[in-house]
Amino acid sequence: MDAVEKANAERQRRWTKEAKIGEGTYAVVYRGREVATGRKIAIKKIKVGQFKDGLDMSAIREVKFLRELKHQNVIELLDVFSSKTNLNLVLEFLDTDLELVIKDRSLVFLPADIKAWMAMTFRGLEFCHRNWILHRDLKPNNLLIGADGQLKIADFGLARDFADPGYKMTCQVITRWYRPPELLYGCRYYSTAVDIWSVGCIFAELMLRTPYLPGETDMDQLKTIFRALGTPTEEDWPGHKKLPDYVPIENFPKTPLRDLFTAASSDCLNLLSKCLIYDPRRRISAKDALNHPYFFALPYPSHPSKLPKPAKKDSGGHAALEEVDGNVDFTGSGPGVKANPPNRLKRKLSMEDGGSRSIARRLDFTAKS
Amino acid sequence: MTAAVSTPGASSSTVEKVPLYQGSTQYRHWRFSPEELVHTRVSLNAAAVRVIKDAFEADSLGSSTAVAFLDANEENLLVKLYIGKVSQLCGHFRFPEEVEATAVSYLKRFYLKNTVMDWHPKNVMLTALFLATKTTNHPISLEAYAHHIPKTAPSDVLELEFLVAQSLGFDFAIWHAHKALWGIWLDIQTLPDIRMDELRDAYDVALKHVRESRLTDAELIYTPSQIALTCFSLASPSLASAWVRSKHTPPASPPTPTSPPTPTSPSPIPETDILELIEPIKSMILQYGTMPDVEAVREVDRRLRLCKNPEKIVGSNAYNRKLEAKERKAAEKRARKAALARKAMEEGDPFGDTIGPQDLDDDDDDDDD
Ligand SMILES: Nc1ncnc2c1ncn2[C@@H]1O[C@H](COP(=O)(O)OP(=O)(O)OP(=O)(O)O)[C@@H](O)[C@H]1O
Repeated sequence: MDAVEKANAERQRRWTKEAKIGEGTYAVVYRGREVATGRKIAIKKIKVGQFKDGLDMSAIREVKFLRELKHQNVIELLDVFSSKTNLNLVLEFLDTDLELVIKDRSLVFLPADIKAWMAMTFRGLEFCHRNWILHRDLKPNNLLIGADGQLKIADFGLARDFADPGYKMTCQVITRWYRPPELLYGCRYYSTAVDIWSVGCIFAELMLRTPYLPGETDMDQLKTIFRALGTPTEEDWPGHKKLPDYVPIENFPKTPLRDLFTAASSDCLNLLSKCLIYDPRRRISAKDALNHPYFFALPYPSHPSKLPKPAKKDSGGHAALEEVDGNVDFTGSGPGVKANPPNRLKRKLSMEDGGSRSIARRLDFTAKS
Repeated sequence: MTAAVSTPGASSSTVEKVPLYQGSTQYRHWRFSPEELVHTRVSLNAAAVRVIKDAFEADSLGSSTAVAFLDANEENLLVKLYIGKVSQLCGHFRFPEEVEATAVSYLKRFYLKNTVMDWHPKNVMLTALFLATKTTNHPISLEAYAHHIPKTAPSDVLELEFLVAQSLGFDFAIWHAHKALWGIWLDIQTLPDIRMDELRDAYDVALKHVRESRLTDAELIYTPSQIALTCFSLASPSLASAWVRSKHTPPASPPTPTSPPTPTSPSPIPETDILELIEPIKSMILQYGTMPDVEAVREVDRRLRLCKNPEKIVGSNAYNRKLEAKERKAAEKRARKAALARKAMEEGDPFGDTIGPQDLDDDDDDDDD
């Protein structure tokens, strides 16, 4: 056997694969362990054989960036090995994700909890941006949460580096509800601000417990944004009318965030509003966000270990069914509701397993290129 | 990241302070001293010769004695020729500089793990370049790629992709000297009393030297910023000194000679030391930064035909024997798994947490794909 093959086989032997726990668009995910320590890990197996152009771009991006990034708030890639025509990414095992936490209606969020999740998100993102990496697909289900409560940015399948300013990039990135207006207008020269918009949407979602800007089509997305935040003027966002896909949209008035987020502190709303500034150049950076008064004001962020988390799934499974039965038929009120409205979408709840997770995910009509 | 990190609650104690480059896989896995580099190549070559000798002997006793195997220097010479070919091909495809530089790095790294007697650089070069188009986010369809290269089928390129990726240890991200050079160029523009035409000429000459440096081992020994500065210094010693002086702020902490500067900021060591440090890089580029003598390489390539590893030559006895052995092993593995699955069915709880038949099915992908 070649030295390279041998090294690969040795790497492979360091990990065991136990049970399938989930399935994404291009990968199957298994639970497993590190043989030497018994530590729980996840193995993401990407089938390469099926791609006519060889190793596919998502897999390449994910490996490329995760190999370079090591930060408490970015998922850790522990190893990579191949088995026949599959690429296996060994990742730290993470119990849940922010989407499941948000959707678990048995959980109550304190303002300090939201602050902790936001601090961890910004910290991970600031690290990515400092490394010249754009994530380009931030949404609650890509923010995974470990047993210790630490939040980790995951899924770098759409990430890219942006060291060359002025390099044309595709605008077909970021799941619609978290996509910033400049991308919806077809802007091809963009930067870190796109990720910040997504974080703003997640921030709002943590408070509302339902997606903040759930547009039904790309066109409707802009309308949804403007309905919530007011249609931008030339002053708000100089030059936006010259963007490639610009279309005039009816004039919605600006309503204060306060009207919707009644319970939030003014620091909190100030930071939120800075994440959702229309002009990408004026939108706050991750670094400045971390220094925002919101993070220094009382209440201090909850300790990660104290953050609310969905109950551990039990092996029986009947509890999960009851829970789903009890909740599937609620309907929410339209936009403009004040308190946490129940979600309008039919949702799987806290006790679900990996399989139903991906079903829940399919409801969000992700539009990736 | 400062204040927010020190807030109670979500504060993290392990926020990275390591400069970016020093956290990179390039810094951690692909830097060698000149002696280490020689040692790596010589021992790799010796091990390869041993294995191939055995393969010859297994074919027919005594057949290896007449073979003049390549030595490490000869292997390196051949690789160098194909580094030059990468450049030609990139010109043909009009690939950006980053693609070319990345492919060259891949090729060099590949032959720190493999021997040309197993894998001819002619083929590896094509795969390394194709992989580089993807890892730098300039993908081209495999068909279009292979179409433009004489006597090359898409499968020729794909066959080696996994091997190349594995040999690189999946470290796809590369820090390049030409980017560091660009940084220096931008910096110098901001210095007082700079004549733009002079600077532009110096930059062009420096870039030429950076390209020459790709034919040498410089990137395996020195940092991108050291190489870039060297090239600038070769083009214009006075501008290079001016830049070093402008960057030389009194050291905040004692200089650490073991940690080289990052590509964007040189370490705070005195100007004279820095200029001395680049002397060996200068001579390396001037001495080795040219294409090898074609006649000399032709001779090496001729001998390579006689000492190629027979196990890698499709259709040879040794190749067929190895293939048979592999297939036998795979069949044994499948039989073992089937037996395990039967056993699990008979005695196991199909819903239990232990390995059930279903998991084994999933695993079987590895064998059947
Ligand atoms: N590190 C991990 N630890 C534990 N479970 C994980 C981990 N990574 C992924 N999973 C599980 O595997 C499932 C599939 O993950 P994957 O990242 O492949 O795709 P996805 O994000 O769900 O979907 P898509 O590929 O469409 O973005 C996840 O929903 C999750 O349940």
